[in-house]
Amino acid sequence: MIFTGMAVVLCLAILPLLIKNDFYLDGLILIFIWGAFAGSWNILAGYAGMVSLGHNAFFGIGAYTSTLLLLHFGLSPWIGMFVGGLLATCVGLILGLVCFRLRSHYFALATLAFGEVSYILAVSWRSLTGGSEGLALPIQPSLYLFSFSSKLPYVYIGLALFLIGIGISYAIENSRLGYYLKAFRENEDAARALGVRTGRVRLIAMALSSFLSAVIGTFYAQYIVFVDPTSVIRIQISVQVALFVIVGGIGTTLGPAIGAMIFIPITILLRAQMGTSLPGLHMIIYGIILVVVLLYIPQGIFVKLRERVPILKRI
Amino acid sequence: MDLTFLLQLLISGILLGGIYALASIGLTLIFGVMKIVNFAHGEFLMIAMYISFWLFHYFQMDPYLSILVMAPLIFFVGIVTYYIFIKPTLESSVLSQIFITVGLSTIIQNAVLLFWSADFRSLSLSYATHSIILGPFPILSIGEVMVNPTRLIAFILAISLSIAFYLFLKFSYTGKIIRATSQDRSAALLMGINIDKVYKLAFAIGIVLVGLAGGLLMPIYTVHPFVGFDFVLIMFVVVVLGGMGSVVGAMISGFIIGIVEVFSSYWLGQESKQAIYFLVFIAVLVVRPSGFFGIKKEEELEHIETIE
Repeated sequence: MIFTGMAVVLCLAILPLLIKNDFYLDGLILIFIWGAFAGSWNILAGYAGMVSLGHNAFFGIGAYTSTLLLLHFGLSPWIGMFVGGLLATCVGLILGLVCFRLRSHYFALATLAFGEVSYILAVSWRSLTGGSEGLALPIQPSLYLFSFSSKLPYVYIGLALFLIGIGISYAIENSRLGYYLKAFRENEDAARALGVRTGRVRLIAMALSSFLSAVIGTFYAQYIVFVDPTSVIRIQISVQVALFVIVGGIGTTLGPAIGAMIFIPITILLRAQMGTSLPGLHMIIYGIILVVVLLYIPQGIFVKLRERVPILKRI
Repeated sequence: MDLTFLLQLLISGILLGGIYALASIGLTLIFGVMKIVNFAHGEFLMIAMYISFWLFHYFQMDPYLSILVMAPLIFFVGIVTYYIFIKPTLESSVLSQIFITVGLSTIIQNAVLLFWSADFRSLSLSYATHSIILGPFPILSIGEVMVNPTRLIAFILAISLSIAFYLFLKFSYTGKIIRATSQDRSAALLMGINIDKVYKLAFAIGIVLVGLAGGLLMPIYTVHPFVGFDFVLIMFVVVVLGGMGSVVGAMISGFIIGIVEVFSSYWLGQESKQAIYFLVFIAVLVVRPSGFFGIKKEEELEHIETIE
């Protein structure tokens, strides 16, 4: 188990060195970004069973916080990343406290409204966010500015985030917290009767999930060197991340990563083949895959894989 | 603020609210009967608007007349959607139920984008270009108030249709079995009601209602592939404020949201007006998730707890 894991990590670490093409490296970085983001959404939705449609807000808070701190105060995005994460955690905790009574559909609707408000705020608060025109980051390769001339450093930072995401999921899965969250998800009353402090446990999941989402938001902003409402805070980001997790396998350690590995290549191949001649085609395919998975393998692809492949059984 | 202007805003709000009410009744009906939130509800509104637009474009069919053609068409769409997407997930987890309609909405939006492009399309009616002027009423010190005829027609038809639907639900046999099913599913089943048939019917009727609202909106608004998303968010607000599953609640809160929207877009501008009703929405969910005009509490809400 540990050896297999190490072998996979080693392969992932060597892989970028073999790929010389920037186009494929870009794909790899996007897989890492979305895989990690999907993992952090999964902490809340998968383990705690709280389906959030407002994670675009946390992603956006991360992207905007580090960018604004850099542009106005010259603060390194490495620090901005954590400031953004902490800010998102505070917002997440407030949202969690405000919505403490809401379950299932109601929680999804409340977070959807929250995500939409954050988007409207980013568009209309022009003096801070630059509105729809967005903010450009300085392109000046330096470690302090979290900006590099080649794609390789981004690949490795992305890989690190990706592995940290999986590691946290793995830790949660096998810890007391994971069992508490699953107990809460499956039957709240029973969990409470057995002494699980469901309120606190749920807030911990919310805090972890929003912190990680914001950190990945910062990394995404640094990678695309541009921040605007459409690319970092629109509601479709939440839908997309949910879709990756559900198709990959919700509530599993590797499911979210597998979701990203399935969808990102599809998007990139379509973009390479069609360019912009067929707008919306990749989203149609996303939608169809989501519907088919929900109808025929609602546990997700990872669970099916685990049944077939013996090595995965122990994860 | 001038009294005339206040009245003008109020009338605009009420006219808008009538259409919101009609559009939201379908959503609340579907939730009440099947306990699912149809995230693709706005897309059916968008499809109806396109049907109305193309009928006008190719056959010069009056949009108010084309409603008669569109209603059976969209009823059929509702039935097909029920069989393919809704029925297989009725017994699934909440997550599946949410994302099956999210997936459907993604497919419809982008298919429309692919086939008909992102162009904004609108139609104008030759007989409805001039505003109707009411007043002045010197006794009340109110000046002239303008009413847009397409909005007035849409309002009158929307209200008539909503009331007709309410009467249907209240007095017809079909309406009674729909209500019985929404009140207690297993009891209805024991009384020999064919639940599957009721679900199918309720879903299709819900889609027809939002489709009718779409047809009435076409002469007022422009249609584009993502118009449904803007409207569905408003519908969620209306339905939650009125109490999920409550038809009368949706009608009342349709008016409230219409008025709130008009006033907040005057004071805050077109861009930020949405922020206001989403904040209202979150506040309602937090304070009273069962809505203000709603029926009995939802079972999900019985877990009231304190955080240590």
